[in-house]
Amino acid sequence: MNAITDKLKEVLFSVLPIVIIVLILNFTITPLETPTLIRFLIGALLIIMGLSIFLLGVDIGITPVGNLMGSSLAKSNKMWIVLTSGAILGFFISIAEPDLHILAGQVNSVTSGMISKFSIVIIVSIGIAIMLSLGLFRILFNVPLYKVLTGLYALIFVLALFTTPEFLAISFDASGATTGALTVPFILALAMGVSVLKKDSKASEKDSFGLVAIASAGAIIAVMVMSIVSKADRITSSLEINVSSSNSIIAPFIKALPTILYEVFLALLPLIVIFLVFQKISFKLDKKGFSKIIKGFIYAFLGLVYFLVGVNAGFMEVGTTIGYILASQDNKSYLIFVGFVIGLVTILAEPAVHVLTHQIEDVTSGSVKRKAVLAALSIGVGFSVALSMIRILIPGIQLWHYLLPGYVISVIMAYFVPKLFVGIAFDSGGVASGPMTATFILALAQGAAEKIEGANVLIDGFGVIAMVALTPLITLQILGLIYKIKSRKGGLDKDAKQS
Amino acid sequence: MRNNPDGTEIELLCVIVNFGLGSKIMKFSKQSGMRGGTIFLGRGTVNNRILEFFDLSDIRKEIVLMLGEKTIVDNTLEELNKKFHFDKPNHGIAFSTSVLSVLGTKSIESNGINEEKRGAEKTMYNAIYVVVDKGKAESVIDAAKKAGARGGTIINARGSGIHETGKLFSMDIEPEKEIVLILADDQITSPITSSVREKLEIDKPGNGIIFVQSVNQTYGLR
Repeated sequence: MNAITDKLKEVLFSVLPIVIIVLILNFTITPLETPTLIRFLIGALLIIMGLSIFLLGVDIGITPVGNLMGSSLAKSNKMWIVLTSGAILGFFISIAEPDLHILAGQVNSVTSGMISKFSIVIIVSIGIAIMLSLGLFRILFNVPLYKVLTGLYALIFVLALFTTPEFLAISFDASGATTGALTVPFILALAMGVSVLKKDSKASEKDSFGLVAIASAGAIIAVMVMSIVSKADRITSSLEINVSSSNSIIAPFIKALPTILYEVFLALLPLIVIFLVFQKISFKLDKKGFSKIIKGFIYAFLGLVYFLVGVNAGFMEVGTTIGYILASQDNKSYLIFVGFVIGLVTILAEPAVHVLTHQIEDVTSGSVKRKAVLAALSIGVGFSVALSMIRILIPGIQLWHYLLPGYVISVIMAYFVPKLFVGIAFDSGGVASGPMTATFILALAQGAAEKIEGANVLIDGFGVIAMVALTPLITLQILGLIYKIKSRKGGLDKDAKQS
Repeated sequence: MRNNPDGTEIELLCVIVNFGLGSKIMKFSKQSGMRGGTIFLGRGTVNNRILEFFDLSDIRKEIVLMLGEKTIVDNTLEELNKKFHFDKPNHGIAFSTSVLSVLGTKSIESNGINEEKRGAEKTMYNAIYVVVDKGKAESVIDAAKKAGARGGTIINARGSGIHETGKLFSMDIEPEKEIVLILADDQITSPITSSVREKLEIDKPGNGIIFVQSVNQTYGLR
């Protein structure tokens, strides 16, 4: 066993479930056209390869840089350095995030240009920048996470009162859009780099998580504020969703490649620049360490390109088609059930999920098992997709009918659950809404919405990511409660991760 | 030298395996009579040119520490070796070292003196521990390899010596450290320590420490 076979095995087991489910669907309820199916299989192969390479790259490139950066920021022992660096980091990572540009483009067109694409990107990036500084500040000054989250979500709730349902969906989606495949591992590592210095090992453990959660709240607040200030409270135009069906097998892959190459490069660029600057002024790694990190960046780049090409060219169309066919069935419960199962397996192939679960194992020395966290995440996302499908089927249900109770429950739970799991849970919200869910599950929902009368492809499409980011908060906190109870039963295990 | 009264000798059993196997080792050892143990994470290195070129030679390891009576430890080691095949390449390593006294465990009765039994079996291997600042473990392994070591295991740790301690903002900090554990033949132990000592300038204050323990039994070393 070496690093490569290890990763391949891990990735294989996380991508196979979704392949099997789609194959079963193909032979039962939703037969797919042969070229589509072949493209799906090629896509799956690319995803397996890409994800393995990407995760290796994260291990030796992105995570070490994040850790180093966190430690050296904290070691500067100067408030202004931490706050400004945090803000600069947050701003540039977010401004280069391809998902944010896509979201901004969509908002621009649905508001008939009232909100320019440029202003959204800038304002969301500022939101993330402020929140990243705040999150680092929290770790350094030992402010409990649940208090910060209560404050942030209270603010979001107040803002939500002045926001229309359409923009509510968009703003919650923005939180998912800004936490992409490269951003999440980096922010996770950054938090770990700062908190690992702490003398109190329990505090160090729990403060390794929560930074992603705080950063993504920044995006929600930024979009809400913008929609209120600019008074663009209504969606005035609709969005064309073109499901391109092609009979060629290879062409879609080649077509997707240039855009993805450009986007991944753009997203990686700030990390590289930041690394080079810090290497000069602070890290001063030796030649071996330096070349290792550069290699890590190269792997991450190549891996992510493979992965995204696979998802975009192979999976998206399958998602839309399955959603459409299921919605045409007389028995609508199929749609809900299949949605649940697809949610269950899709999340396993999400890149950031692997990074998060490994970090959890590293931070807790393996006592919180990867599989337990994966199971909780899976169930959470399964429910979120099923709930989204119900929302598409029944026009009376609005997004906030889910979001309001969901977030109220999550924040209340944060007061009872072991603090380590609060951080993990709220981070996993941003982690779950990565490129895999954003394409495949979104495509499924849009496919279904296209068929169902009274469902708007756009409005119902927005908000799916928000759901995916919400439900893991609850399921992972439930897992935390289970851990708390289980470790109490051990009797002797008195410091059961509770503090 | 203090040890036990009734002739029971206590040994520390240490097993280093690939990530994920630790819990199985523990479970299996309990069946052989061990009472419990502690698992922590480390990183190991693989000797493979190609992987080294791609800088992918790191692999996650789990280290299991268990205390027990010598007879039980010996028996467990043998059983573990049968079950997990440490003699095959890359299946992990296991070794046991002598412990002077144990406190805090009910299952191993020991509170007295025992005769020094060293030399009864000839120690052929030593466990070399090097504690350095974070980031330097790789160079320790490089230095050790130059002197003939086959590899090493890196454990993340923290701690502070007299040269460093402090407070950043409102958090107390302990600097991050790395512990490198290298198992080596008696003959190459001192070349390894001197190579590491030279390369990392261990003799200068604040640069780290090295200590060597003798090992009673090993499995999985070639």
